[in-house]
Amino acid sequence: MNGNPHITAAWLAKQFPDLQNIEPLSSGGQKQVFSAQHSNDGDVVFKLIHPGVDVERITRELVAVASIHSPRVPGILGQGIISTSIGDCFWLREQRIHGHTVRECLANGPLDTSDLLRLALHISEVLVSAEDINIVHRDVKPENIILDSSGDFWLLDFTIARHLTLDSLTATANVLGHVTWGYAPIEQCLNMKGQIDSRADLFAFGVTLYECSTGINPFSNGTRDLREILQRLQTVVLPPLQLTFSSASEFSDLITTLTQRNRVHRPQNAREAHNWIREICAREQVQ
Amino acid sequence: MEFYLQFGYGMMQHCRHLMSKWGGGTAILSPRDLSPNQLLNISTQITDLPGGQILLDPQVYLPHADHERLCSHDYWPCDYNTGTFFQGHAGRELVRKLVDLNKAIGSREIILPGLLANDIDDIWIESQRSWLEIVREVAGNYSVISTIALGADVIRNQNQIDSLLEVAPSWNADGFYIVCEHPNGNYLVEEPLWIANVLDLVAELRFAGARVILGYCNHQMLVANLVQATAICSGTWMNVRSFPPEKFRTAYEEEIRQRATWYYCPQALSEYKVPFLDIAWGQRILGTMAPPPELDGGYTGRLFEGPQPTTVGFSEQLAFRHYLHALRGQVRALESESYDEARSAQDYLLNEAEDFLRTLNSIGIYGQKRDFTAIIDVNRAALALLHSRRGALLRRRWNSLNS
Repeated sequence: MNGNPHITAAWLAKQFPDLQNIEPLSSGGQKQVFSAQHSNDGDVVFKLIHPGVDVERITRELVAVASIHSPRVPGILGQGIISTSIGDCFWLREQRIHGHTVRECLANGPLDTSDLLRLALHISEVLVSAEDINIVHRDVKPENIILDSSGDFWLLDFTIARHLTLDSLTATANVLGHVTWGYAPIEQCLNMKGQIDSRADLFAFGVTLYECSTGINPFSNGTRDLREILQRLQTVVLPPLQLTFSSASEFSDLITTLTQRNRVHRPQNAREAHNWIREICAREQVQ
Repeated sequence: MEFYLQFGYGMMQHCRHLMSKWGGGTAILSPRDLSPNQLLNISTQITDLPGGQILLDPQVYLPHADHERLCSHDYWPCDYNTGTFFQGHAGRELVRKLVDLNKAIGSREIILPGLLANDIDDIWIESQRSWLEIVREVAGNYSVISTIALGADVIRNQNQIDSLLEVAPSWNADGFYIVCEHPNGNYLVEEPLWIANVLDLVAELRFAGARVILGYCNHQMLVANLVQATAICSGTWMNVRSFPPEKFRTAYEEEIRQRATWYYCPQALSEYKVPFLDIAWGQRILGTMAPPPELDGGYTGRLFEGPQPTTVGFSEQLAFRHYLHALRGQVRALESESYDEARSAQDYLLNEAEDFLRTLNSIGIYGQKRDFTAIIDVNRAALALLHSRRGALLRRRWNSLNS
């Protein structure tokens, strides 16, 4: 915890007697995240959303996660609003996944082939589930993927997920969209809402796979500013990967296709990408 | 990929002859070159042939033009005062007359009108959408082919093509008839991006499950096999082997003038005026320019039997029939079981032509404006871009596109 007017674990423990061993995990401008043990649900993540954050956005995250029904998305176990010293805060209690984010894993270098292919398989499964109910995650990146102790990958944080059938919460007039630079495709960066669909997630997913293969984000690595990232998004075609497994060439083709600048050149949908990955994984005997 | 005959001036005899020889085929009829009566007569003659089929290109590319022959057809729009002849009552009338005409001539599919696009703007998009909506009302059971007619500047402009790629697949047409103006009016296209963008458009529409017919092609568009175009169409004169929009505005008589006779050398992907064959004859390599047996329809024998080529009476009629027969043969030869096989076939075609052209050029045999030497790299560059954009997906979807 830093010195900002945030809520302490001790205060939370008094308000939520069913939570034990509350420990801060992360803290940002909009929310605080804690780990804890719940009397019924076991290990959980407790998120406290600070006042001023758009409640409708949070509601959408809840609906998104609840609707996806994916075993690779942590379930939401409880929710509510609590009055605090900094105002009324929305809170969420989620299933806690023990493991490391892919960002943490990448600190040790690129993923090995088995992890790389399982990540591709598991996360593409989630993207199919999301696509089936018209949800675009919009923030696929190593920070939002966890590798658990069983070797399974989970996709987290649907905070900026978009329901394609609902109105956007990002101002249409904004020139730039709400994105993580270096992962979002050009149509998302430029806030071209009519063009954002599951293929935007496929782009970010492709960049993530490339980074997991090489340790480098090809669109943001070494860039000076956002304009340079934008320029790369419009001009860079990823070079073939130098991997050593038998289907490596096809896996490289997959990543090149996922990361095409123009969405019409990407797989038509998440299911097509997932089927492609499944075929590669079957040949490599990865589940 | 199939090969269709593109009707133009003086095509009737060639069409009957070639379809009889081939045991069938498809011809795209041209109201610009056929009177209403001729349209009915030639349709009957073709559909009476075993395997003979026709499609009618309504040629409403420049509807405000007053081309005499086009204006003589009943369906041709004659009232532009409202500026909305593609909508409402006027649009319905036009489509209804076209449907009646298609029924009368025995066409199993209807090609819809399509305005020439010099800009992919809202009005053009609305006109495309409107024709489709109307035809579904008027003739719900007909298989419908939407015309996409594009000016050269649209095709060479990546943003314009990207806009088209976004909207066209959603039009829900059964097929598309694409006609593309060549840059600078050139017969052979010298801009790789133009070729790459046409291929990209075809691929996108094929991926969307539509049939795609590329109209007004010459042999440069053999590359369309790599995106599994349903068919390319070609004909006799240059103005049916490339799409010159102006010919739908200009008077009929202007094109009837003396032209040179060109021999198509399929292994060089180039055409030669007969006097240049005299040089090959003098250099004693004329025989190597003869079509290979599988592309030889028996039209060029006299050129290669010994005498000086300019003395043997190689006629325009023979030249046209040879071109179309050989091109059809090349289309069929490109049929491939996989994307990689198709790609190799294109590479082979270009590499062989390049080697042969080097030999011919070295001894003074040139195809002038129909020489493919400078075009080989154009096609190679276009294929490289296509591969970069679509290669992996074409490889994966090849069989489903083929079925």
